[in-house]
Amino acid sequence: MPLSASNLPTRRDEAWKWTDVSRAAAGDLRGAEAAAPVQIFVPQGVTVTRVDATPAANDTSLQKLALQYAGQIWAIEVPDGFTAEQPIQIEGLTQGHAQITLTLGTGAKVQLVEHYDGDANAFVNSHLNVKLSADAVLDRVTVQTDPEDCVRIATTHVTAWANAELVQHTLAFGGKLSRLETRFAGMGKAVKATMNGAYLLDAARHCDMTSYVDLACPDGLIRQSVKGVTADKSRGVFQGKFHVRRPAQHTDAEMRHDAMMLSDTSEIRSKPELEIYADDVACAHGNTIGALDESALFYMRQRGIPLAQARAMLTEAFLGSVFDTLDDEVMRESLLDKLRGWLKDD
Amino acid sequence: MLKIENLHVAVDDGLKPILTGLSLEVPKGEVHAIMGPNGAGKSTLSYCLTGRDGYEVTDGTVTLDGEDLLEMEPEERAAAGVFLSFQYPLEIPGVPTMTFLKTALNAQRKARGEEEMKAPEFLKKSRALAAELKMKPEMLKRPLNVGFSGGEKKRMEIFQMMMLEPNFVVMDETDSGLDVDALRIVADGVNKLRSPDRGMLIITHYQRLLDYIVPDRVHVLANGGIAASGDADFAKTLEKEGYDKYAA
Repeated sequence: MPLSASNLPTRRDEAWKWTDVSRAAAGDLRGAEAAAPVQIFVPQGVTVTRVDATPAANDTSLQKLALQYAGQIWAIEVPDGFTAEQPIQIEGLTQGHAQITLTLGTGAKVQLVEHYDGDANAFVNSHLNVKLSADAVLDRVTVQTDPEDCVRIATTHVTAWANAELVQHTLAFGGKLSRLETRFAGMGKAVKATMNGAYLLDAARHCDMTSYVDLACPDGLIRQSVKGVTADKSRGVFQGKFHVRRPAQHTDAEMRHDAMMLSDTSEIRSKPELEIYADDVACAHGNTIGALDESALFYMRQRGIPLAQARAMLTEAFLGSVFDTLDDEVMRESLLDKLRGWLKDD
Repeated sequence: MLKIENLHVAVDDGLKPILTGLSLEVPKGEVHAIMGPNGAGKSTLSYCLTGRDGYEVTDGTVTLDGEDLLEMEPEERAAAGVFLSFQYPLEIPGVPTMTFLKTALNAQRKARGEEEMKAPEFLKKSRALAAELKMKPEMLKRPLNVGFSGGEKKRMEIFQMMMLEPNFVVMDETDSGLDVDALRIVADGVNKLRSPDRGMLIITHYQRLLDYIVPDRVHVLANGGIAASGDADFAKTLEKEGYDKYAA
């Protein structure tokens, strides 16, 4: 059955009201009814196997599609206490459907690097299920550089047990439609998550960064900062929700979304949400949308910095801070290079 | 030489005239002060000279050493040697001071067809200057002007001016927000830059700054133009008598 409003989310679904995937996916997209040519590179000691997928009652429409077309699940297992210099790399999410699981054993610590570089006129629907056992640490870096006519939905579920930590940095340039969604469930005490991201959009590109953090145990520490810039007729979407359940006392959680519109014709939609049932927590959210500061631009030009360069410097300074929390300096510099490349071309 | 002839400038989309026929010549090597009441157009003059958006020149000419400034973009005027010390220096979050200044200096050099200044030379020069201006070295690593006090910001303006070595300096209310010690440091910096190759226009409300930077000429800006001029002592007279007799 081809993609349509009957098997995809539509704008009537509250979580998809600003990201109309059924409309974007209409027509004949490559990979709409096929498995993605996934490639996974792992350090020695980490295993990758294929296992059968089984349906669950609460599968979303996108999970049902993956079940139908993705074939067997790619299962990545990181043993207890494992550490490696070399990252796990996921490539090949260029078109089609994929289901991947990543399990980190107790105390394991790895980096996961995903590069989403889709094919022209492609549809990509990937589901990554991450399980962080107690004391495990996952350093995840995702770079999305799809062509302008690619539709991508990348959904990640992270389940974190006691003292586990997710450090996530995402750099996204959007596409015909991109939705990068992270759903984090804190199932043990003192879980930590850093969920930062930057989106840079031009032309008619669309990028949606959605996240849902669900905390069920005490002492969680969550830091989220997403920043974006939109040029031309592009559209940026941020939806963030922290759900702090009654037992999750002493949760310390902060969510920020800050965006700058570089054109009058671009669009930014933002929905930060807190839902809190515990009474002894520190939770905050902040959201700003603005433009480049004209006075600062004039000041820089008065010192001799040409307008385009002044704009790029201010924009880089604005966005770059989301990667300050990335310990891997080489990786951070490579993300900033990509960001600068975009600013130069724009 | 900076030569302003019959300058007319309006704001609010050209609807509100501020300067209406201002003429002024500041020869190389001279320091001129512009004084005047609030709202006379002192800041308008500084922004017009440096090319800020929103200040529409409806008539007149401005040249620096024969070059038409009004035809140039702000960054081109900077490369031609025009430096404005801002009344309210801007904060530039996320851009370290040294990065900012090195970018500015080398952008100007590039625009003039000169070779870029290499990092070691730049560091040496900036460190020496910072010490001279009694600036803490860590200030140079921080994002430009972010979290600086009013006095620190003004000192940073002087630091930038000394690094960039402009041909023509416009100082807009540089004394505001400075205590006496900072005023002296700033004035020392400015006096050090006085040279036969450089003109300066010092815009100020009060005579105080002119005790430290003694001007060659003093002008009163009122009613959209230069209403009166005199030598350094004229500033003292103005301080005593006020600007009332020049007002319309």
